Amino acid sequence: MTGPRLVSILRQGSYLIASIHTALDDTQMTAFQHDLVERIGRDRARGVVIDVAALDVLDSFASWTLRTIGEVARLRGAVTVVVGIQPEVAFAMVTLGMDTGSVHTALDLEEGLEFLDRVVGPRRPAAAARGGSA
Amino acid sequence: MPRVEAAEWVGEPPVRDTDAVAALIPMVRRIVAARVADVTAAEDLVQETLARVLAASGRVEPGMLEPYAIATARNVVATAWREEDRQRRNQHRVVDLTAPDLPEGGLLAEEERSAVAAALARLSERDRQALLAHEVSGRDTRSLASELGSTAGAVAAQLHRARARLRVEYLLARDRTEPPTERCRPVLFALSSGDRRRQREVDAGRHLLECDVCAALSQPLLERAPQRDDEVRIPIGGDADVVAARQAARELAGRLGCFSPTDLTLLATAVSEVTRNIVKFAGSGEVVVEVLDEPRRGVQVTARDAGPGIPDVERALQDGYSTYAGLGLGLPGARRLMDEFAIASEVGRGTTVTMTRWCGNR
Ligand SMILES: [Zn+2]
Repeated sequence: MTGPRLVSILRQGSYLIASIHTALDDTQMTAFQHDLVERIGRDRARGVVIDVAALDVLDSFASWTLRTIGEVARLRGAVTVVVGIQPEVAFAMVTLGMDTGSVHTALDLEEGLEFLDRVVGPRRPAAAARGGSA
Repeated sequence: MPRVEAAEWVGEPPVRDTDAVAALIPMVRRIVAARVADVTAAEDLVQETLARVLAASGRVEPGMLEPYAIATARNVVATAWREEDRQRRNQHRVVDLTAPDLPEGGLLAEEERSAVAAALARLSERDRQALLAHEVSGRDTRSLASELGSTAGAVAAQLHRARARLRVEYLLARDRTEPPTERCRPVLFALSSGDRRRQREVDAGRHLLECDVCAALSQPLLERAPQRDDEVRIPIGGDADVVAARQAARELAGRLGCFSPTDLTLLATAVSEVTRNIVKFAGSGEVVVEVLDEPRRGVQVTARDAGPGIPDVERALQDGYSTYAGLGLGLPGARRLMDEFAIASEVGRGTTVTMTRWCGNR
């Protein structure tokens, strides 16, 4: 991808914090999925926060992609939480008939991290966190 | 020309001409590539097409930019073919083929006069009299109106229609063309008059995609059509256009001031779904977003493609029908997000989804 960064994936302890900064098309959304899944394995992440506060639309494809990320991450031993879904966006998703499936959601980044701390244990260096069940 | 009529033709060039034309590039490439195998030659023709569309974009009704680009691309390719053929046939002659060997100027002027005469002869007596009185004798609409027991506005409208018909008949006579179908003349009149409702009624956009004669004539007709700012047309050729279409819809609807943020999000989401269907199933098409004033204020979205069509529309509207990416929410989901929703689809001809959201509804 060229130009300003569309997404960022930062590591914080055993968590990855992925932020989507602008509207993504389907190809970019799929690239994001691949990048993030790859990072989960490489960084041995136990928890993933996906921040979608900047998105004004989460249509069927975007919702499905978030869900896929969550399910793939789960199979690789990480818990995913989607944060920052705007109220109008949430309403549209419900009307559309879409949800994030088994992926957890939280109001914002702070609550997302608190949620991860509760379900996967407190943030520790990734290497030390390895070996527990997800 | 009286001021009221001049205003019909005056419009500011769109601020984002270049962006709008740039958005057409993938589509123009596809059209040219489908006809010209040589990659370098094709790219030259793409550039020539874009240069022509850009040069004309200030005079072209924004809504018709895509059909206009399609027509231009076809014409540019056809001209290149004729030129190549001429070169091949004349290879044995050692002469400069580009130098005219006829006094073409005089000839063209004569042809032009006879085309105008033929076009005038095809108008109704009433239209012809009105045009001649106004254009040739210089009568203004008010004095014509009092003579005819009508209003200046009604006379101006009649002149507008007569002029639109004259342009169509002039171009047909000039090219010595008879339109191939019965739909052609109504489409050409609708384009020539810039009558958006009529264009919709006769499905002018689709006809331009299907009829080469009208596509070719649309160029000179649209160069004279008035500008609009209550309509936006987004050519669809790939993923990125899904985002462009939903953003354009949100922007246009937002300007009306009667939609809540939730309304705008529902609209944008629905546009995203129907536009993705074009990309997934037809490859290309267009999305038109327009402001409606009747029966009340709202926004109408038309998503149109010339793709394979939907064999069973009823089933396509059931959740879970569509199979791509394991999802089936595109059409049924969009229907739930909008106030009105209709699909017309014909196998082998394409699909048109029309959906509306009314102001201040929920
Ligand atoms: Zn035609």
